[in-house]
Amino acid sequence: MIKTWLGLRRAGVLGINERNLRLINDYNPRRLMRLVDDKTETKRLANAAGIQTPELYGLIRSPAEMRKLETLLNHPDGCVIKPANGSQGNGIQVILGPMRGGWRRSNGQRALLEDLKFHVNNILSGMYSLSGQPDIAMIEYRVKFDDVFDPISFGGVPDIRIIVLRGIPFVAMVRLPTAESDGKANLHKGGVGVGLDLVTGRTLYGMQKGKTTDIHPDTANPLSNISVPHWDEMLLMAAKAYDVTGLGYLGADIVLDKGKGPMLLELNARPGLAIQVANRMGVRPLIEACMKADTEGLNAEQRVELGKKLYREHVPDHVLV
Amino acid sequence: MPTTNVTYLSVTSTFHTRLLAFVLTAIALTIFGIKVFQYNYPLTPGTQTTTWDFEIYLDFDTANQPVRIETFVPSNSDTRRVSQEQYYNGAFGLRLETDDDNGRKAIWTYRYPNDRKVLRYRARLEGETQRSPLPAEMHRPADRAPPESLNDLERQAFLVWSSDMRRRSADDDSLAELILQEIFVQKDADEIEALLPVLPPPLDRLTLAAEALQSQGIRARVANGVYLDEARRRTEVQHWLEYHVDGRDKRYFIGSDPKEFFTIWYGTEEMIRADGVFDFEPQVSIQPIDSSASDVMRKAARADRTPVELFSFDRLPVTTQLVYQVLITIPAGIVLLVFMRQFIGIETLGTFMPILIGIAFRETALLNGLILFTLLVALGLAMRFYLEKLRLLLVPRLAVVLIFIVICMAVIAQMFNSANMRMGLSISLFPMVILTMTIERMSIMWEEYSPEDAIKAGAGSMLVASLSYLVMTNKHIEFLLFNFPELLLVLMAACLLMGKYTGLRLSEIRRFRELAKEAEPK
Repeated sequence: MIKTWLGLRRAGVLGINERNLRLINDYNPRRLMRLVDDKTETKRLANAAGIQTPELYGLIRSPAEMRKLETLLNHPDGCVIKPANGSQGNGIQVILGPMRGGWRRSNGQRALLEDLKFHVNNILSGMYSLSGQPDIAMIEYRVKFDDVFDPISFGGVPDIRIIVLRGIPFVAMVRLPTAESDGKANLHKGGVGVGLDLVTGRTLYGMQKGKTTDIHPDTANPLSNISVPHWDEMLLMAAKAYDVTGLGYLGADIVLDKGKGPMLLELNARPGLAIQVANRMGVRPLIEACMKADTEGLNAEQRVELGKKLYREHVPDHVLV
Repeated sequence: MPTTNVTYLSVTSTFHTRLLAFVLTAIALTIFGIKVFQYNYPLTPGTQTTTWDFEIYLDFDTANQPVRIETFVPSNSDTRRVSQEQYYNGAFGLRLETDDDNGRKAIWTYRYPNDRKVLRYRARLEGETQRSPLPAEMHRPADRAPPESLNDLERQAFLVWSSDMRRRSADDDSLAELILQEIFVQKDADEIEALLPVLPPPLDRLTLAAEALQSQGIRARVANGVYLDEARRRTEVQHWLEYHVDGRDKRYFIGSDPKEFFTIWYGTEEMIRADGVFDFEPQVSIQPIDSSASDVMRKAARADRTPVELFSFDRLPVTTQLVYQVLITIPAGIVLLVFMRQFIGIETLGTFMPILIGIAFRETALLNGLILFTLLVALGLAMRFYLEKLRLLLVPRLAVVLIFIVICMAVIAQMFNSANMRMGLSISLFPMVILTMTIERMSIMWEEYSPEDAIKAGAGSMLVASLSYLVMTNKHIEFLLFNFPELLLVLMAACLLMGKYTGLRLSEIRRFRELAKEAEPK
């Protein structure tokens, strides 16, 4: 136990207490948190700064606006219904497109208008929002995932998380859905997290449920050495997210669309620490470096370069082997 | 320069926190030190708690008509000790009336009162035990005569029954045993039923027993008072029998014998009688006091009115003191909770929920509380999952679960009551809103995370609740905090310092253990 503890200290592993106190408390003023807790607000800010997000088809703010639902659902490409203040992917329904008498869900089942109205009602009553507050339902573009992760994902939504401190992206991972996680990329539901080389966007190793792994549990394909396309563009999006929100410590969740390229899905003002396990390293050295770095007058591109430089300097050797 | 600002802020706030914690601790320990060294306050609860604070609290509404309130109050005698009596009369006139047969009465009167009024009687009692002698008048011989209240027919029946008792016994001692046995144990005997006087139970049987013993020349009477078993904010008046047989003093209690008790009056009169009042709420409370400790404090307070006297609950009414005795231990539980969360990393449902559950355990005791709580949460969860199918909106669904919990509690109380277990009654005090919220949070966790996570958090909550219960009911902690409330500042300082802890939690050492291997020096 003591030995493990000393090992973790040497590895620079960050704990929740330290994250809350030194990162969230110091860098994320509470009044700015609202900007990322509400996804409609995030979308508005991101679009204004030229960061691509899934197109918003419409909002349902109250039961009185429920009439709009049917027309919004009838988009030929399908759509996604999600709560504006949801967390951890809860309350998200993916509609592939219209089918006889209703709409086809991502699992192939048919959903009736009545079912979807009930779901939207639940969203409005705050069932999925952070503190049970009444919420807004968003209906937006359904992302058509690039097939780069097909060999190492199982039915669902792979996404890329980049963590940014003071506008400097410094660590990243890709989250892959598994059979166990029920098509969701959430790590605590059994999704696989794979560390990324910040400089090249190449996948490294994986972890599932806190344990390291080298292959995807369902497809058995090796996780490493897949290059994420549009990598620099993604890093730039993450760096710009700092400029538009002002949050000093944030996680950017990005998905890769087949035709339209990377899209910012959401921002997180309290990103978790599992990324350390996915990357097989503690992030304290990188965090200290980002805190000390002089960012005065640097634009997003320059901060991306700075992040790459810091990553090269501080990443332990065993990670990149 | 936002950068330097942030670091600067972080450093000074750490220094500031430490300074504040230090100052708070210093203040607390100074007061504590003065109390201990200068006034010799004891640091541990005494072992003998034979002195009790006794309080009658009368709270009522008046409506401009004459009010008369009579209550029996404890009295000094050759066998009983009452000290430090205090009467809080307000504008009422007080008269004390002593009647050798029944006891001492306080009579409060007022001709034209209005509004809500409060009267209070306070005293210190020395507990009596089974071995305490009976008053001298009990040693006089009794005159053998059947009770006068009976009509001819009943008198005949009484004589037949008592002579039957006499025949079946060897001496006075066994006669008394037999009569008590017949009246209190073999309850269904018809002839007893017919002889019972018209009085509320258990006074009817006690009176019959006293009359039966008297008729056989054994001096006996009904005694009333309180059992001194533990601190109670509302204690019930109890009734028992005292008799003198073969030169020995005896008492007969219905049910098991109390360890300590105090006799207040005799006969079948009610303790408190009130005329001309509404909304009358009499309350009798008792609280043990460590006589050595409290006497010292009293002395210290009397000697010179020092500021330390301010930091004591001793001068509040007993009922208020009892509330604070519970309240003041809650911070100790909270410090434990903070430690468990920040250092151990135990997941719980809700932030302070475990503390609330721990407080609820006070009513049920630990093991019963755990069983009941788990049972009710399991039932509630089952209901919650069933409701999930009906697709209800959030608030109505919570309400349905809450009503279901109340029904479950009522059913469980009925079941235990018919099985004669006290546990069934304590459950009705179990806070059901806490239960409902626990169920809701647990079911959300069940769905959003996984059943294992939900059960883990539930078990974590139970663990923290149990530990906080043990801390909050620990005699020494209670004693220290109640007599030295300034120690709350030390607890506050501890929380301040824990609020600046940035190290790993115990659970994280496990979570990240694979990363430690990577960092092994090669």
